[in-house]
Amino acid sequence: MRPYDIELLDSLPFPPSKYEERQGRLHLMVQEDQVRPLLSFLIKKEDGELSNLYHLPSGNCIMALVVVPRRGVIVIEGALEGTTYPSLTIELPSAHWYEREMMEMSGIVPLDHPNMRPLHLHDWPKNEHPLSPSFPSDREVPLVGGTYHYRKVEGEGIMEVPVGPVHAGVIEPGHFRFSTAGEPIINLEVRLGFVHRGVEKSMEGCPLPRALRLTERISGDNGVAHSMAFCQAVEMGTDVPERAKMLRCIYSEMERIYNHLGDIGGMATDVAFAVPAAAAATLRERMLRLNHDLTGHRLLWGTMVPGGVAKDIDAERSDHLQNALVDLGLSFDPIEDTLFNSPSFLDRVETTGTLSLSQAKDLRATGPVARASGWDRDARRDFPYAAYARMGFQVQVQREGDVLSRLRVKIGEMRESMSIVKQCLDLMQDGELRVEVPVPDGMGVGLVESPRGELVHCVHFENGKMIRYKVRDPSFCNWPTMEKAVLGNIVPDFPLINKSYNLSYAGNDL
Amino acid sequence: MALIDVIITLTEVLFLLALSPLLSGIIRKIKAWIQCRKGPGILQPYRDIWKLLHKGTVMSKEASWLFLLIPYICLGAMLCLAVMMPVFYTGSSNGIGDMVAAIYMLAIFRFMMVLGGLEGGSSFGGMGSSREMMISAIVEPTLLLSIFSVAAISGTTDLSDISRYFASSGASVLSPSLFLAAAAIFISLMAENSRVPFDNPATHLELTMVHEGMLLEYSGRELALMETASYMRLTIFMVILSNIFFPWGIAMDLEAGALVIAIVAIVLKLLLISVAVAVTESLMAKLRLFRLPNLLTISFTLSLLAVMSYYIL
Repeated sequence: MRPYDIELLDSLPFPPSKYEERQGRLHLMVQEDQVRPLLSFLIKKEDGELSNLYHLPSGNCIMALVVVPRRGVIVIEGALEGTTYPSLTIELPSAHWYEREMMEMSGIVPLDHPNMRPLHLHDWPKNEHPLSPSFPSDREVPLVGGTYHYRKVEGEGIMEVPVGPVHAGVIEPGHFRFSTAGEPIINLEVRLGFVHRGVEKSMEGCPLPRALRLTERISGDNGVAHSMAFCQAVEMGTDVPERAKMLRCIYSEMERIYNHLGDIGGMATDVAFAVPAAAAATLRERMLRLNHDLTGHRLLWGTMVPGGVAKDIDAERSDHLQNALVDLGLSFDPIEDTLFNSPSFLDRVETTGTLSLSQAKDLRATGPVARASGWDRDARRDFPYAAYARMGFQVQVQREGDVLSRLRVKIGEMRESMSIVKQCLDLMQDGELRVEVPVPDGMGVGLVESPRGELVHCVHFENGKMIRYKVRDPSFCNWPTMEKAVLGNIVPDFPLINKSYNLSYAGNDL
Repeated sequence: MALIDVIITLTEVLFLLALSPLLSGIIRKIKAWIQCRKGPGILQPYRDIWKLLHKGTVMSKEASWLFLLIPYICLGAMLCLAVMMPVFYTGSSNGIGDMVAAIYMLAIFRFMMVLGGLEGGSSFGGMGSSREMMISAIVEPTLLLSIFSVAAISGTTDLSDISRYFASSGASVLSPSLFLAAAAIFISLMAENSRVPFDNPATHLELTMVHEGMLLEYSGRELALMETASYMRLTIFMVILSNIFFPWGIAMDLEAGALVIAIVAIVLKLLLISVAVAVTESLMAKLRLFRLPNLLTISFTLSLLAVMSYYIL
């Protein structure tokens, strides 16, 4: 046991019935009614964050992952007696969506949850729960109709504006229900789930190579992060070779660069500032071609493999990459200048879509969204994986929480990513690319800072078979915070706020 | 009115009708060049109109007969406006081109388009319509005032007469008030024709749309007519700017030589203004919706100064 753990166990409001350390994680086994006070303690007193919450059918318990900055991952296993437990949302708003998800997917009812509507499954019969073990994966469920009740805002001049799920542009589907008083937004409700594909169910019993391919496709532009989280989870603490760690850093930073470039250009596009938008799109395309030259895939898919990496970067390509990134950085300078020297652009992004620090913390925002609101969290620094412990980089934090802050965070992170890639290339030495991974058993956790924020994969094996796979994309945490950030803004500013978040629909819907 | 005047007027209308999609194509092309893109060919608007003319119409269940009538009224208003405009020859539309009538032709167009946006019964159309009315509430007085200032200088409200007055007086009439009014008209041109910083003609974001929002429910032939009418409106604004404010080169007598010079002059002026529109659009981001009145108020102030400076200076 670590000193921190002993101290923590002493200070807990009540002792857990059992605790142990597994692969560096602290597991606390408690009864269902103790989950809420324990979580509250860890989040409010120990500055922890709820990173995942799901039901595990084998053993019938709810698993709550808390990341605590000085400790790492703490897992609370709350044993259930039936299919209900006291809801956490009342005290911890960040549990809101997790509990609704658990309710429809696993049939576990959080008693007194303030919002019992389904989250992702539309028109599903009430008694069908796809993640319960008795539900065969090939079962076709007859859809039943039904009305989804949106929050009603009433008053003189209040208009309800439904937008989506089909949009005018080629983007992912999601429904936004605005209540507006003229142009200002009084309330926004996001309804997602239109691209729910049953990822977690398909992962059950899935052989590892196929599962790896599947994770890359959960949210395509974060394929490296997802497949790396999968690899970390099934490696269960196996040490990967040094060179592989470096390459993992390189690939995930290259993913961050092209994602952030796309977001920066997207923000310019959405305010009709076409010149920098076109320039950023050009740079993103250059980055994608560079990805293709290096790994054979524009989105860097197929680079990760349990135990290491599948694609190496030889000396010649390493030089090519270094030069290309220097070039990219130089080409980006004029874009940044254009954006920040344009009063019309700054006027659009300043004070637009402000998310306060307390909102970000209550709803547990993550990634650039949280950092733009002044929450200094980055999994690469706080819980280093791959080779990040040896990398020097500055976590980008802004205070205002508006679109401009998110833009600054993304620009800053992109530059830091370029520096991390360079550091990796300089430090990288010849060596093995991968090692054999023992047959996994028990629970594994993958925790990665994807371009959109902290990404968590939890996997449970029993007798060599994957029995439960839980994915928690950063978008799942950030969507509810957007409902808060848009309040008081005007309707035509919503697309810009949405773009500054740039959340994944597919990653959220699973 | 002689037969030759009628023929020339009709030629002018056809000229504007035929040329206006090209100008929009040119503006798009220049914008694409500024963004280092190739962009679609300058004939693309013609292809779009041709394509739309051959497509069927889909109508909202909420819409009434008015919905289908509106595109014809809009295009009709623009054709009437084209009749009033002195394009090559100052004598062709004598006595029918009163400036107040011209501004109210634009108002008919706008009013009908706003109704069309509401007809579809969709929330985007409604939002587009309400925003359009907000913008036009300031654009309309600006337009009136700036044309009043040229009317005051020339002593007439007939568009052809104003044009002839400026063309015949040469550089001696150049006054601060003329330039102030021209600047005000240019801002109104950007606002009325839904260009960046007021609106984004290329947007796919339904929540930010003004002009496109009102057209969202239109399809097929009706959309083609609405698009054509919008292209014409842009061209007519350019003609106002070039032939009312700076009508040099326009033919004052019916001579072949003068007419050729007039055609060349108007084409050059239209191209020049197209470049100005494209460059202005590329220089800035779209304004926040509630900042639009600020810029429009500037243009209103300019036009007010134009009128005042005429009487003071």
